Amino acid sequence: MKETWRLIDMRIEDAPTQMAIDEAIAMARLKENTPNTVRLYRWSPSAVSIGYFQSIEKEVNLPACEEHGVDVIRRITGGGAVYHDYNGEITYSLVAPEADPKMPADILASYELICGAIANGLAQLGVDAEFKPVNDIVAGGKKISGNAQTRRHGVVLQHGTVLVDTDIRRMFQVLRVSDAKISDKLIKAVEDRVTNLRRYLGRQVGFDEARAALIKGFEDTFDIALQPGELTAAENRLVKQLHEKYSSREWVFQR
Amino acid sequence: MKRAEYKIPGGKLLSAELAVEGERMVGVKITGDFFMHPETSIIELEKALEGTPAADLEGTVNGFFRENDVTLFGIHVEDFVKVVKMALES
Repeated sequence: MKETWRLIDMRIEDAPTQMAIDEAIAMARLKENTPNTVRLYRWSPSAVSIGYFQSIEKEVNLPACEEHGVDVIRRITGGGAVYHDYNGEITYSLVAPEADPKMPADILASYELICGAIANGLAQLGVDAEFKPVNDIVAGGKKISGNAQTRRHGVVLQHGTVLVDTDIRRMFQVLRVSDAKISDKLIKAVEDRVTNLRRYLGRQVGFDEARAALIKGFEDTFDIALQPGELTAAENRLVKQLHEKYSSREWVFQR
Repeated sequence: MKRAEYKIPGGKLLSAELAVEGERMVGVKITGDFFMHPETSIIELEKALEGTPAADLEGTVNGFFRENDVTLFGIHVEDFVKVVKMALES
């Protein structure tokens, strides 16, 4: 009999709600004895998330976000800025105790394992993907997924993005890319570095197909069965509190 | 305002921003796409540098990481020293 983890499947929510749910699950995991959890989700409206340590002014073109109705949020995790395109991206999150026998204590090893689950999922679709330290997954040498982990409340929380069919032009309207990272010929340079499922496979990949593949990737990698479930009442109370934090100017604009 | 940006070979981008009053660093702000647990330690690190003589930069940063239980990922203690030093020299 395989160990069962909870799957919170493809909820479509706004940015503050998505970030509040991830943090609520992490907070409740040990305190409320909730199950290990994998979430797959999409952001509506589309949103830019920035890493905890990033400067919002430096990373985000705020007028462009306003013009295109794109939300902006700061994560609790470090890492870089991500454009979560409603029509072209799936985000996952995973919460498990640091002491879980399936979870390596070493941070790099745990990235490698969780990113390996995503890579195994992508392999189901015919994508030859692999973990690339520090926190990326690449296919054909190009980034297809970025990932970010934190450890708090005795648990590992990792979330990350899987690019399905991202609007790269829009991505570059809403993100500011540092000169030190990418020089001229912006979009061309990005196309050389970033890919997505549609581009890599040369065909449209539906959200249902990608979702099923990612679920299988987690189940195989962790030797678990993912059981669809809902948030508990305690988690929902936390989501409500945390939503306020994530919506506040004080949080989003703190650096 | 002094500013510097430093790309760690093979990875993360780190920025520092500060002013110097007399010999002392003020308004120190460090940003970037690195990882540090607990995340709020960055605020404590910036506080530790606030009002510190520029000459004591390295000792203060090293002392901070010696005395606090902070995990770094994708970045090392010396990268913080380096980017702040670059800003001071800008």
